[in-house]
Amino acid sequence: MSWIFIVLYKSVWGGIAALGFAALFNVPMRSLFHIFLFGAIGIFIKVTMLHYALNIVFASLAGAVAIGFLSIPAAHYKHTPPLIFYTPAVIPMIPGILAYRMILGFITLTGNPKSPVYYTTLLETVNYGMKVVFILISLSVGVVIPMLLLRKDSVKDIKVLFVKKQ
Amino acid sequence: MDKIENSEDEKDMADVLLRTGTLLMSAGANTGRVRNTVNRMAEVFDYTIDLHISQRSIMLTMLNENGASHFTIVRVTPAHVINFRTISGISKLSWSMVEEKWTLHQINEELKRLEQLPRFPRWLVLTLVGLAGAGFCALADGAPIELAFTFFASFIGLFVRQEALKGGFNPYVAVYFSAFAASLIAGACSKLGFSDSQNHAYVTSVLFLIPGVPLINSFSDILDGNVQNGVTRGFIAFLISFSIAIGILTSALIYQF
Repeated sequence: MSWIFIVLYKSVWGGIAALGFAALFNVPMRSLFHIFLFGAIGIFIKVTMLHYALNIVFASLAGAVAIGFLSIPAAHYKHTPPLIFYTPAVIPMIPGILAYRMILGFITLTGNPKSPVYYTTLLETVNYGMKVVFILISLSVGVVIPMLLLRKDSVKDIKVLFVKKQ
Repeated sequence: MDKIENSEDEKDMADVLLRTGTLLMSAGANTGRVRNTVNRMAEVFDYTIDLHISQRSIMLTMLNENGASHFTIVRVTPAHVINFRTISGISKLSWSMVEEKWTLHQINEELKRLEQLPRFPRWLVLTLVGLAGAGFCALADGAPIELAFTFFASFIGLFVRQEALKGGFNPYVAVYFSAFAASLIAGACSKLGFSDSQNHAYVTSVLFLIPGVPLINSFSDILDGNVQNGVTRGFIAFLISFSIAIGILTSALIYQF
């Protein structure tokens, strides 16, 4: 059961990373706690799914969709648009290490094509590149999927349980 | 609400609408939000308008009762500085003006107040972004000593970016300087022997620069049908990522990673 502690440890750091971006984007003070919470939840879902050997793209998509859905009641509760919650909260899930390896691979690929590692580098770079592209798409689309499914222009038109109508 | 007949008032109305739109756009709202908000405000005062929204300017045409165009105004968007507090404030404004039947003067006053709202204090932003850097390192399985290095790297990196922007550098050049400074500091972690071959600190130190808002807005714009703006934002995100890559590769050259 030690993996659950690693997941929780990473979730807390994910929430802190979300807070850093919240400060950078100058969010309203009242939304800070929810941003921390959603950042942590996104990372929690992603890392848990990775632990069960699911694909990293699906894991990121699931995390992003969860954040998108949670942002709607939070927007009602805190009277602020949902993008203020979901934008900082999904950023910790952006695959920095993979992107770095992809760029490094591209640089190597500009070298001598006759070198013995060229073919392996090509395969690895394509693999990292595809992962990065699809993760970025699933993160950006994932957070707006709830709004697309609910077919409303504004969250004010969506009825939310447990939040009192003003 | 009564329609304002006077053409001077019509000009004032268009002015307020454009001011709201450009303020939203420069604060980092997606195009659909700008369009919805401005249209909602015009509707309250019983006007019909057409909008053309691009990254650097907004064009508005006032229509008269017959649906013919009356006049058109263009307003240039100020430099884009992400500010979610403004977006939140304008969202609140656009709802309370309906419920409380605000006048144009009241809306103008509220916009002025929103423009002057304070930002987070600089030391707090630097510290939180430093912690975010450490968070990225922790997510990549970094050791505690690497977390400390990433904290300082991100802290100094953001400081360099802010100073470069103050000094009037091109924003992409500022990102390059910042990525270079951050990766130079974090790379020392590996060089001093605190890091294994994976170089976690070095790689994650620049992640605070990732263009999250342009990236997410790019996709939501394209899904909304504002393809031009979406492509523009996507390209901006790509250019920022490219500047980060060049910055980190410059310090890789120095450290011979």
